Amino acid sequence: MSASVPAGDSLADRPVIGERSASELARLLEHPAIWRGRSAARAEALPTGHAALDDCLPGKGWPRTGLIEILVTRFGVGELYLLLPLLAALTRRPAARWCVWIAPPLEPYAPALAAQGVTLERVLVVRAPEPLWAFEQTLGSGASDIALAWAARGPRIREIRRLQLAAERGKTLGVLFRPQRAIRESSPAVLRMAVEPKPAGVRLTLLKSRGGARGSVELEWTAGWPAAGS
Amino acid sequence: MRSRVIHAAEVVKGEMSARGATERPARESPTGTTEVEQPARPRPLRPAPAGPVGPARFPGTAPVTSTELWVGVHLIESAGGQEPVEQGLERLATCAQRFTPRVSLIPPDSVVLEVKGSLHLFGGVEGLSRALASECASLGLKSMVALAPTPLAALVAARVGKPFVVTELTRLVGQLMPLPLAALRWSDETLERLARMGVRTIGQALRLPRAGFARRFGTDSLATLDRLTGRSPDLHERFHTRERFRRRRELNYELESHDAILNALAPLLAELGKFLEARQCGVMKLECLLRHRHAEPTSCVLGLAAPLADVRRLTELLGERLSALTLPEPVRACELRSSSLVVRVFSSNSVWQPGEHGGGAGAEAPELIERLRARLGPEAVYGLQVLQGHRPENAWGIREPVTESEVKGRGRARHAPEIKTLWPAFRRPVWLLSAPKPLSERDGLPRRRGPLRLLGEPERIETGWWDGGDIARDYYTAIDVHGVRLWVFRERATPHRWFLHGVFG
Repeated sequence: MSASVPAGDSLADRPVIGERSASELARLLEHPAIWRGRSAARAEALPTGHAALDDCLPGKGWPRTGLIEILVTRFGVGELYLLLPLLAALTRRPAARWCVWIAPPLEPYAPALAAQGVTLERVLVVRAPEPLWAFEQTLGSGASDIALAWAARGPRIREIRRLQLAAERGKTLGVLFRPQRAIRESSPAVLRMAVEPKPAGVRLTLLKSRGGARGSVELEWTAGWPAAGS
Repeated sequence: MRSRVIHAAEVVKGEMSARGATERPARESPTGTTEVEQPARPRPLRPAPAGPVGPARFPGTAPVTSTELWVGVHLIESAGGQEPVEQGLERLATCAQRFTPRVSLIPPDSVVLEVKGSLHLFGGVEGLSRALASECASLGLKSMVALAPTPLAALVAARVGKPFVVTELTRLVGQLMPLPLAALRWSDETLERLARMGVRTIGQALRLPRAGFARRFGTDSLATLDRLTGRSPDLHERFHTRERFRRRRELNYELESHDAILNALAPLLAELGKFLEARQCGVMKLECLLRHRHAEPTSCVLGLAAPLADVRRLTELLGERLSALTLPEPVRACELRSSSLVVRVFSSNSVWQPGEHGGGAGAEAPELIERLRARLGPEAVYGLQVLQGHRPENAWGIREPVTESEVKGRGRARHAPEIKTLWPAFRRPVWLLSAPKPLSERDGLPRRRGPLRLLGEPERIETGWWDGGDIARDYYTAIDVHGVRLWVFRERATPHRWFLHGVFG
């Protein structure tokens, strides 16, 4: 399907197709299972809460399903603040599913999450000695909107592919936090980014973005974040 | 005494008409005479009967008339004293359902059954008493039986242990008069006070003025007397047999592998599925016992988040559970036991798949929790909540995950304003250490993989002196050499040590 539509060409200005069939085709192409290269704006994207990051991502937001890998120099450089607007938006929807935290290294602090707008009722914490098994079960079950996982040992490519497939099956967004030493490995994840700390926020480097551009972007945030300037 | 009984019947009747029953022009009064009401000219309502109000009465409950006949069975001993009386009681209640569906347990040692409707099927009062006695004997129970028009009277008479058969309400009070008050099982204090007044029998108590009696001994005691004589109705919850599933399968050969054991359990699980389906029930807890040649049986207990009757899912969960088990010896027999059954509440499915447009989590939510818990243990999966507390470690807690129905029942909108009022001014880290971790220091400043730089003003938290968890800390935000923001504190008390308590992440 993706081969028949050249990249960067919109359907509307192709005169050979009648207007009606064009709209039908456009609707067909909106199906989340069809991937159309970088021209395809994914209809179902979730705003990141940071305008600069939205512009860099395909579909102007986080993907709705699939696996995101976030590589960090150190635990706690600001990778969770990056996701808090997303967690708040997902858990506050009327038909929200679970927001599952698998094997978090410390205790997620409920008052801070609530202050950032996360609905705690939808948060589920799972303590697992084998985080990848719990992660795959959660992603594939279809019972969660988003699952965050901290893997103690580096998952292999085969395991990441498995997670990616489970996320697609369960229509779930999976976020895997890994140390930055995995930066050279290739990965079947939808989105892969590295996060480094900056005085007032983080610097994000998009390592892989299916259907989007690569590059880096600096984000600054204010709410709840202690600035280093003062 | 006879006039008193007629009065009681009149009161019952007056209440009937007060409840708007004027469309019933004639009604046979318990005394056998028929009174005719004039529906055209509404009768003035009678004042409510003097004295205190009896137990809560449900609308539509028939008043006590002699159309009821209760058998009270008082258990003296069960199975020669081998078995606790409660167990014998339940077995008796189960067997008594043969005579009538209206069986109620009166713990700790009695059962009452209403037999008016089924009396003729068992050969009248005598036949029924005989059948009941032989039933008790076959169960190995020693008991006393009495018949009366009110359940409490039957019970009291059975406790006294003398032959007592009264089938008409009019004759009831007269027969009750000589019975000792102690059979009512009032508190020792009440009985003693009554005894000091010279009141030892039910008849003497009934002769006391109602208002004074209620003032001295409480309205509950008066209500008991009213229930005894049929002046006010006596309601009991109906006994339902507790059903459980229990099947055992002996194996012809010894099994070791988990898959083979699960295969051996499959017919039992299928049977369980049919059993539950027929009753529209689910199980909350399922126990699987694996028996060995020498070793103690291995037990594998499956706890479920919601009543479940789906065989496929039960098999899946049990398989998950079995795979985590180490068996001391090969398995020779397996047994499946359910906890008591829970009626399942069915809900309609959503048009949308979960994750699509408006599709919610639906049935997948408990399923995920169960699967994770089956493998990781029940305490490994939990939810979070904010608690009222100023100490950072007391301001949160874990909780049972909130189920879908709870969320739907309350509506989510009400929770939105709550968030805004939390921590209006203070910054809190998203990660907290379960216990503060001491930090090394140099020149009075904390260090963690290099020196820490403190940011901004400290926040003092000094609280908890009243419950022994006294803290006095100055919290700072610190940044380490890698750019990670930490939440550290310095104790106010000497030796002013530094601790790491959280990470802004």
